[in-house]
Amino acid sequence: MSEEFKDHQIRDVIKINYKYTMGGQSKFFIELKNNKKLLGTKCKKCGKTWMPPRINCSDCYEPADWLELKQTGTIEVSTIVWYTTSAFIKAIPYGIGFIKLDGAETALLQGIFSENLVPSKIKKGKRVKAVFNKQRDGKMTDFFFVPEDEYDNWISKPEYEGGV
Amino acid sequence: MRTMRKVAIIGVGITPFRARYLDKTYFELAYDATKLALEDANKNGAEINHNNLESTVYGIYNELFERQFMPDIFINSYIGMNNKPGTRIASGGATGGYTVRMAYSEVASGLSDLCLCLGVEKCNDCYDEQTGVTTPEVLNAIAYSADMTYEYPMGMMAASSYVSMVNAHYEEFGNPTEEQMAYVSVKNHGNAMLNPKSQAPMKVSVENVLNSRIICFPFKLLDCCLYSEASAALILANEEKVKELGVENPIWITGVGAANTDCFIGNREDMGRLYSNIYAAKAAYKMANLDYNNIKSQIDLAELHDAFSGQEVISYEELGFVPFGEGGPWIEKTFEKPGEGPWLNGELPCCPSGGLIGCGHAVGATGIMSTGEAALQLRGDAGKHQVSINKGRAISHSIGGPGAAYAAIIVMANEEGLKKP
Repeated sequence: MSEEFKDHQIRDVIKINYKYTMGGQSKFFIELKNNKKLLGTKCKKCGKTWMPPRINCSDCYEPADWLELKQTGTIEVSTIVWYTTSAFIKAIPYGIGFIKLDGAETALLQGIFSENLVPSKIKKGKRVKAVFNKQRDGKMTDFFFVPEDEYDNWISKPEYEGGV
Repeated sequence: MRTMRKVAIIGVGITPFRARYLDKTYFELAYDATKLALEDANKNGAEINHNNLESTVYGIYNELFERQFMPDIFINSYIGMNNKPGTRIASGGATGGYTVRMAYSEVASGLSDLCLCLGVEKCNDCYDEQTGVTTPEVLNAIAYSADMTYEYPMGMMAASSYVSMVNAHYEEFGNPTEEQMAYVSVKNHGNAMLNPKSQAPMKVSVENVLNSRIICFPFKLLDCCLYSEASAALILANEEKVKELGVENPIWITGVGAANTDCFIGNREDMGRLYSNIYAAKAAYKMANLDYNNIKSQIDLAELHDAFSGQEVISYEELGFVPFGEGGPWIEKTFEKPGEGPWLNGELPCCPSGGLIGCGHAVGATGIMSTGEAALQLRGDAGKHQVSINKGRAISHSIGGPGAAYAAIIVMANEEGLKKP
């Protein structure tokens, strides 16, 4: 064991492909893709509105009904990311935050885009509105939020459009 | 009501926390900590070797780090534990604390008299080809812990998850300010200078922290822990075994508390609180017959989960050290005042080891390191970062997972600490 240690490193990768079903949540993604609608759910018993949607109420173990939510909301908390994972590092800086849609009781994590991405522009209490990609895949990345006063600018860009 | 047996930590083994071990695999690191824990148990009067260990509880967070699913079974082989029970725990950043909890249960229940509690992580084998460094790929391997449908696609990661709670706390209470968070970094990097096993011993100023590069507003680089490679092990024994082996200085686990709050931060009633911390602390203190509202005067030190500086400040409140909203002022007002605040010579030293910011964060090993460090402190064996032990009690704290949903708290006492009110 007296010989000098010399390390040996190899390149390797773990990769798995999926065709993942959204199960009971599928309607949310279908309506997002086809109709630019944001659907939450409302518990049949306690009336709690879930967003992200759950087809079962975790509080009272009763089924929940689908409910279309408004596409405007308020920022509850946010941050701007300046250093991140290998999957997102080309996108920095980007804003994300928890947004309570009007009529919802829980807040949804989403990207918050702004032409002037500074903390004060996307802080708690700021009003935001959903903007949709014209090309949608039925994924969360099909839409994002922008400050209400920037909404018209964003939907005038060729790749985006307003909701319903 | 409780029929559980008394359980003591009789051996502690912690490898140095490093950015990278090129000369060790994860199972070789796990072997090193096990050997160190056995040697420490020997030093503590117990003549045991690995053949005496009856079971293992493994704390390993992330298969992607280890490049191996079910890494525990490969460690089980390498550390010579074949044909004995081994259970793996994976609870995000709280893996270590949860592993101690389950190893405690293994012994308290009577399933084992001598149990190995072993955590290991080796993150920096992950490598990002596009930037030519490890960190973005390490962060990506962690980010798969976020909800894959709603949150991962938004670029959610560890720092942005924790910062959401800290920012919400700031909106509610006006703290922690960036300066108050910087004090945590000053304290924990500074404490690490006295801990030879630490990865990031540094004398830094508040200005250094504030001027370090922005990671995730308002967290700067020096507000964040580093990802580490390390292993940590504890050997747990029941009371009869402690007597039989003639253990000189057993450290008794007197309370274990754990709770998982909603992993969707947006579902929480208040985003500026970690409810799991509050529930876990109250449960652990109650089991140990300690008072949540008076805990600061009942323990000698706390090894906290300071993955991010701001989170440590909020933890002061959630764990009952100070009232809600007073975490930031507690560390700020007592800056460099001997005998006050969470400083090394303060009224309640927090993270004397340097914590995650100073010692390092080797996820599965971290909470076991924190618990082991607290146990060594109570034995008087911590070394240069030894704090003064008067009450004979300490706590370790682990949190983790999406939105830091997991929390586990361990309360320990030395022989004197068991007797004191």
